[in-house]
Amino acid sequence: MPQNDKALLSRLKEQKVEFVIIGGVCGVLHGASLVTLDLDICCRFSRENLRRIEAAAKDLHPCHRLTANKLPLELTDELCGSLKNIYLNTDLGILDCLSEVAGVGDYEEVLKQSISHSLSYGEFRMLNLDALIAAKSAVGREKDLSTVKLLQAIKERKEHQKELF
Amino acid sequence: MIDEATLAQMNGEYLMPPDAGPAWRAAAEYGFDMSLIEDALQLTPEQRLEQHQRALDLILEVKEAGERHAAK
Repeated sequence: MPQNDKALLSRLKEQKVEFVIIGGVCGVLHGASLVTLDLDICCRFSRENLRRIEAAAKDLHPCHRLTANKLPLELTDELCGSLKNIYLNTDLGILDCLSEVAGVGDYEEVLKQSISHSLSYGEFRMLNLDALIAAKSAVGREKDLSTVKLLQAIKERKEHQKELF
Repeated sequence: MIDEATLAQMNGEYLMPPDAGPAWRAAAEYGFDMSLIEDALQLTPEQRLEQHQRALDLILEVKEAGERHAAK
């Protein structure tokens, strides 16, 4: 299934989902030369917001990609109250929705440590570089720690060359 | 006449920027191709995402071709 981050982001935007871009795509936006096979977001896990995510993915055959039977995404009020994360496979690729980010905190904290950037298809929030470094450090896997080295280099360069985003 | 340093760069040796800080040097020593990062930092975030999408499409295309080949 092809991963189309632009299309996924556009759909989330159209449905007014409250979210912050985290993970590898956030690293790419900051300038890291990574290739990542999913789109990770941190979002408010209110019923209303989860319903917006469901609406954004509704005609994309969304399913809980980590469940044994790939259960379809069919939210109920009860389920909305129990979920902490939603790992989806869709016709536009993988969309992982997290309620909190290790090393940063819950959605409110993630939102505080995010920056806004305007793309041609909308205004999006993404983790700031310090928070992304904290998040990757907290995960602590080898690949994340190597990414931390890269992000630290980018941070250093941006501090030196203020014109760089 | 091309000097040795220039020839090495032509052959792929990374020329460390004179103002490179310790983190930049550490990432280069770790093995990251920092010339790619220098290029990426000249792009807008949207251009970086488009570049990423192209790389991803290529990877998935190669992967699918491999799977098709294996299925034969």
